[in-house]
Amino acid sequence: MTDEAVKKNQPDGPSPKDIKQVDAKTLGISWSDGHESVYPVKLLREKCPCAHCIDEWSGEKKIKPGSIPDSIRPLKLNAVGLYALQFEWNDGHSTGLYPHNLLRSLCQCQECIAESVA
Amino acid sequence: MSDLQIKIMAALKTVMDPDLHKNIVDLGFIKNMEVKGGQVKFDVELTTPACPVKEQLKSECSTKVQEIEGVDSVEVNMTANVRASEHSQPVLTGVKNIIAVASGKGGVGKSTVSTNMAIALSQTGATVGLMDGDIYGPSIPKMMGIPITPPKGGPNNKFFPHENHGIKVVSAAFLTEEGQPLMLRGPMLGGIITQFLQNVEWGELDYLVIDLPPGTGDVQLTLTQKAPLSGGVIVTTPQQISLIDAEKGVKMFEQVKVPVLGVVENMSYFVCDGCDKKHYLFQSGAGKSLAEQFKIPLLGEVPFIPDVVISGDNGVPITLSQPDSPATKAYQALAGQVAAQISINQAKGDSKVGAGFELAWKE
Repeated sequence: MTDEAVKKNQPDGPSPKDIKQVDAKTLGISWSDGHESVYPVKLLREKCPCAHCIDEWSGEKKIKPGSIPDSIRPLKLNAVGLYALQFEWNDGHSTGLYPHNLLRSLCQCQECIAESVA
Repeated sequence: MSDLQIKIMAALKTVMDPDLHKNIVDLGFIKNMEVKGGQVKFDVELTTPACPVKEQLKSECSTKVQEIEGVDSVEVNMTANVRASEHSQPVLTGVKNIIAVASGKGGVGKSTVSTNMAIALSQTGATVGLMDGDIYGPSIPKMMGIPITPPKGGPNNKFFPHENHGIKVVSAAFLTEEGQPLMLRGPMLGGIITQFLQNVEWGELDYLVIDLPPGTGDVQLTLTQKAPLSGGVIVTTPQQISLIDAEKGVKMFEQVKVPVLGVVENMSYFVCDGCDKKHYLFQSGAGKSLAEQFKIPLLGEVPFIPDVVISGDNGVPITLSQPDSPATKAYQALAGQVAAQISINQAKGDSKVGAGFELAWKE
């Protein structure tokens, strides 16, 4: 998926039907189109789309590789309107809004990983 | 259930709701069935009093039941119970459905459309509120004929909406002296809108109509993030140039996943007093092409009638002052369409994570 497509929520794009904690380090989302996504929470923190983490003008990533500790966990997550999720992290960060399309594109299920490698 | 009752239900099963594409028995619309000898009496409880096909359904029910052998008389009573759009947000808990009226562009008549649509909805028997989201240029109080006085306060920082013509109204105009500008930077706008959402004692409402300011800025973002909107209505004028901005309005709703209920073309045409010809002052068709481009319903074309403006200036909107005006008819049709679209969306009933979703992480 291109960056442009990630930023924009498609009108008929899938929406989460269920969001649950799989284990201490994994978030699961069941989508309206039947897809089941899994996410290591550390990856989600690393992909934070907020202006502190990705420069608004240049798109440059501000999070240095390896700077997010393995102990990173969300404390809480909540829906933002009908289009995004917000995470409150245990490192004090909480400014990222993750639109559904971004979340979908970050899916780490075996199928999606195989697709992105191919 | 008696044999006759079974026959009646079977006959009613053939009555389809044209919007929801299901028969009215399976939809659970039939209530309080009473059969005494050959006298049959029942309620049809619709999902909105503004249902555009109410009369059609009533006569179809009546005719089909009348045809059954053993039925002497039929009394069909049309009622409505507005269903709430699902949300668990801690704001606007008594409000069943929230409709945001937007346009990318200013001056297309959003406030006039919002006001008249709110009144048309309330004329069908629904309880309706109207939120003036235009903080810098509030015009709803004037159109609704409400003098500028500070809102009445209640406990816990709450305040009560003003009320006129049976509609509850909040507006930033009430927060300042009449004629004084509210000069605020962007972040303050979000604060005021949040107040409108959290601190207003709306009571129970079937529909809350929100008149948005033009554009795609702070007010729109705060509302889409904090208010559980049931849907958005886009207002445009007929000329192609207004499409540039109206498209942005549609895309704004799409990006934040607020269902677009449809598009209204305002100031569509002018009928002069000398002839009955429709004069398309601003050319025509922008509403239609927008609807086609985004595959959304064209909810109505409101004619350009000077009385619409005069009524707004006098504080008695045309839907009240001139019940037979073509503009009134257009607004009533619009209200019916909007209510129907909301019911259709609810009937799709796909369970999604709602706007009030929260998950606490466990170690």
